[in-house]
Amino acid sequence: MSNPTDRSASQTPAAQAPAGQTTRRITVTVNDTTANHDIAVRQSLSDFIREDLGLTGTHLGCEHGVCGACTILLDGQAVRSCLMLAVHADETTITTIEGLAEPDGTLHPIQQAFHESHGFQCAFCAPGFVMTTMALLNSNPNPTKEQIREELSGNLCRCTGYHTILKGVETAVQLYGSGRRDASETTDTNRQDGGTANA
Amino acid sequence: MRKSLAKQALNADTNAPAMGRFVGQSVKRVEDQRLLTGNGTYVADVNPEEVVHASFFRSPYAHAEILSIDLAAGLALDGVIAIYTGKDIERLTNPFAPLASLANQYTPVFYGLATDRVRHVGDPIAIIIATSRCIAEDAAELIDVDYKPLATVTNHREANDPTIPAIWPKNDSNVLYEDEKIYGEIERVFARADHVFTETFSCHRVSNQPMETRGAVAEIDPDSGEITYHAATQSPHLLRWILAISTERESVVESLKYLATNRDRLKKFGAGAKAFLTEKKDDLAKNDSTASTNQIKKDPSTLAHLGRTFFNTLGSRRYPRVVAKDVGGAFGSKGAVNREDVVLLAAALDLNRSVKWIEDRSENLADGGQAREEDMTISVAAKDDGTILGFRVELVMDQGAYPAVPFNCGLFSNMIKAMLPGPYRLEAFEMKMKVVASNKGRYLQYRGPWANETWVRERMLDIVARELAISPTELRQKNMFGPEHLPGKMVTGPDLDEDMTAAATLAKAIEVADLPAFEVAQAEALTIGRHLGIGFATYHEAAPGPDNFWESVNPGSDAFLPERVDAVLGRDGSVSIKTQQLPHGQSHETTYSQLAADELGIAIKDVTLVYGDTDNTPFGLLGTGGSRGGPVGGGGVTFSSRQLRRLILDEAADLMEASVDDLDIIDGKIHVRGVPALSKTFADVARAVTSRGQAASTANAIETHVVYSNAGNGGWACSTHVCWVDVDLETGFVTIPRYVVVEDCGQMINPAIVEGQIRGGVAQGIGAVFYEKTVYDESANFQSSTFMDYLIPTAMEIPEIEIFHLETPASVEADFRGVGEGGMIGSPPAINNAVENALAHLGVRITEQHLPPTRILELAGVIEAE
Ligand code: FES
Ligand code: FES
Repeated sequence: MSNPTDRSASQTPAAQAPAGQTTRRITVTVNDTTANHDIAVRQSLSDFIREDLGLTGTHLGCEHGVCGACTILLDGQAVRSCLMLAVHADETTITTIEGLAEPDGTLHPIQQAFHESHGFQCAFCAPGFVMTTMALLNSNPNPTKEQIREELSGNLCRCTGYHTILKGVETAVQLYGSGRRDASETTDTNRQDGGTANA
Repeated sequence: MRKSLAKQALNADTNAPAMGRFVGQSVKRVEDQRLLTGNGTYVADVNPEEVVHASFFRSPYAHAEILSIDLAAGLALDGVIAIYTGKDIERLTNPFAPLASLANQYTPVFYGLATDRVRHVGDPIAIIIATSRCIAEDAAELIDVDYKPLATVTNHREANDPTIPAIWPKNDSNVLYEDEKIYGEIERVFARADHVFTETFSCHRVSNQPMETRGAVAEIDPDSGEITYHAATQSPHLLRWILAISTERESVVESLKYLATNRDRLKKFGAGAKAFLTEKKDDLAKNDSTASTNQIKKDPSTLAHLGRTFFNTLGSRRYPRVVAKDVGGAFGSKGAVNREDVVLLAAALDLNRSVKWIEDRSENLADGGQAREEDMTISVAAKDDGTILGFRVELVMDQGAYPAVPFNCGLFSNMIKAMLPGPYRLEAFEMKMKVVASNKGRYLQYRGPWANETWVRERMLDIVARELAISPTELRQKNMFGPEHLPGKMVTGPDLDEDMTAAATLAKAIEVADLPAFEVAQAEALTIGRHLGIGFATYHEAAPGPDNFWESVNPGSDAFLPERVDAVLGRDGSVSIKTQQLPHGQSHETTYSQLAADELGIAIKDVTLVYGDTDNTPFGLLGTGGSRGGPVGGGGVTFSSRQLRRLILDEAADLMEASVDDLDIIDGKIHVRGVPALSKTFADVARAVTSRGQAASTANAIETHVVYSNAGNGGWACSTHVCWVDVDLETGFVTIPRYVVVEDCGQMINPAIVEGQIRGGVAQGIGAVFYEKTVYDESANFQSSTFMDYLIPTAMEIPEIEIFHLETPASVEADFRGVGEGGMIGSPPAINNAVENALAHLGVRITEQHLPPTRILELAGVIEAE
């Protein structure tokens, strides 16, 4: 049994890559910035985004492809960044949650829609839902309620029971999808919510 | 006796603002700007300079002796900095000593890492520190442990079998706690009954599963040695204490010496302790002192550990600052202190550098928190006419291997006991409680830790109704506390005030449900082979409950319940509210700002909520939990803000040479009523206080605080759930065409947030009934370690949930009752009752909560039961 406080034997300079590990250079455009990056070939795309780029808005809920928290847009398609290797993102264009709002903080219409619908609680799942919604509305600007449910069923939320998230997508259809309108027309969606009544 | 601050304030305050500008509105969330743009700071986003990474090596065995551990290959891997095992942790830390043990309970004493044996799959054996998380995980693969497998305990039957050796050898058996309470004349009541119905109910093990797993960053300043512990926690102050007492290894003598030479520390602590002990004398006197005596008899080392705990609490020099910014959900699980927390901090202190640990989903499923696995046998004494006289209940809870810290099944079983009679008028009640140990993950509090009392009672009432050929709703109405019985008292002791409106929620639910129309539809559907059902469940929830609630659970345990809230005017005129609450989805920044803004006559954006930093928030051990954020924290915000308003107006009155009674604040401007043109701002007031040399501190002009417990002798949130189901006997799938919640939580601060809490809770109940199950096989091997095995419901599975609010006006101010837990309390029985109602004509009786498709088909006789 070894004495872990005797670290001299086991200490390694951080920079030295472990044996057998190789690196590769990739070129990616992330949120409109194109750059080259030297990355470890075994690094997941999500770790690259969070650690190398410091874009921590992309969350990891399961790291095995089920929860959808890590969803980003890769060449316009929603992908689970925990399931992809960073090397596979070479020569692609990526949008993460940080790439949506205006620099002055003005929310993107989809974010605005979720804000208006009281979409999230702890919001750990929110980036994944926002990106999934973006992909959905880009390909189908006017989805039916059932299509919305279906498309969002790949993202897990443990807090909300989905109601307000689905309402948020419906609002986003108005603000961003086919029926694009001025955001100011949308009022408090919750109190007009069909499922809610005051006795 | 605690005074009702609310009632006092109502009478005393002539300067209360015109209420209701924000409170009661579905104000949009303040948190959203940060969280919707990816700019939150969850613990995984914290990366101090030079941080290194930890991963835990965990047991693949359910129960085994550790013969030897070979770390050589792991240590040899490039990038590995250190590996610590149980032997090191024994040297570097103190064990978890039983802090909340009951009489007749044995609470194991254990360390953060397994020392001599492993007790469940996932039991941490070693922590690996490396330059990256993946190298640490690689090294874990290289650790070689020699195990000697031991007999496993996987269920209640085995736990009760005296031939199976105890998992905790210092206890004689795997039964950790046994107790019994009788209220009323139980024998006589049962002798008088026309009928006694008995049934055994069994609930499966489920898991909290917040979307953010557990994690922490122990940040050490290598020069100053200062410790900042960033954590995904619900209770930062609790975590701070336990980290300090667990990692302080000074001897008692050294601690005393330190105290003797640090008079300030001693004086401060002494004063605090004296105030606490004087104030809480009555509460503390109720503590059962045999609890520790029994524990010490079984495990004499407890005494040494408790002694050290006490002196370390006094003398520790290693109190970390605990910080938490955004937390990705918890549902109770992050209110417990993790074994990993203590190990991580010990390793970081030993290495004198910052270390980060973010667990993966499989670890969270194995030991991030499990709950609800209990069996209850209930006998109901009833009269022919449906009058229910009493219950006799036997409960067995499966705690798993290690008790959660600080609250464990001993306490939870007593919460079940206190609440099981529900809002019904029983003459007598008997409760036998037993907690057993098994080779499974930690049982901890999960959204309404007592919820199975409602499940068993409401399920059983349906069975009794069927036996007596009375409608389930009529049976409930006949036996429930109605307005004519209030104020009253539960048979277990807690007071019920006039605002305990369970009966009103049931009446409204019956009206909404339109049962006659449903029965016609049900009969019609059956003719074409469709099975429709409807189920009701009613409960009342102590949120926070009356003054004497905790007395019926565990006397003395309410000493820590009152909560301090600070309201502060900065020297720059800004307003902040400081709370010991730790929001993790409940939107405190919005709701507390609504409350403070209304009191102070300012905008929501002008209030800053300070939370999640033990250096800068009032002390409180509970953090956010127990549906207390609205009633206790929210009440505290109201009254501390009101106090601040008064102090601001006093100062303004001097400044403006006006009478304080003539002043008003509108949109942050202080002026004489009717003369808005001449006004002063909060900044003017702050400047005046500061220039008089009266500023409260270097940063603040005025600081004020309130310690608050509840709005009087009620505090009951009440609700009735109604579930409609459509059971497909071809596939076994159940759809929910309609779901209604009728609830009364008193005045709502923010209806949209209340509704979000309710729907989220119902969704977890739907998950528990149809999808979620933490599975161990017959040798306690863990079978549900991914989201492919443990099924969290998606948007496809959760129906629309309609909510009706009664919002009964309360007789006292700030009577916001908690809603965090109720959704999950009401839903499992409503769903189970609906399914049984749909299949009643087939003779189906549901006694297990979990109803996956195969179980539905088995119950209906479509397929053979296994
Ligand atoms: S983290 Fe990628 S799907 Fe869960
Ligand atoms: S809001 Fe918490 S997981 Fe979705």
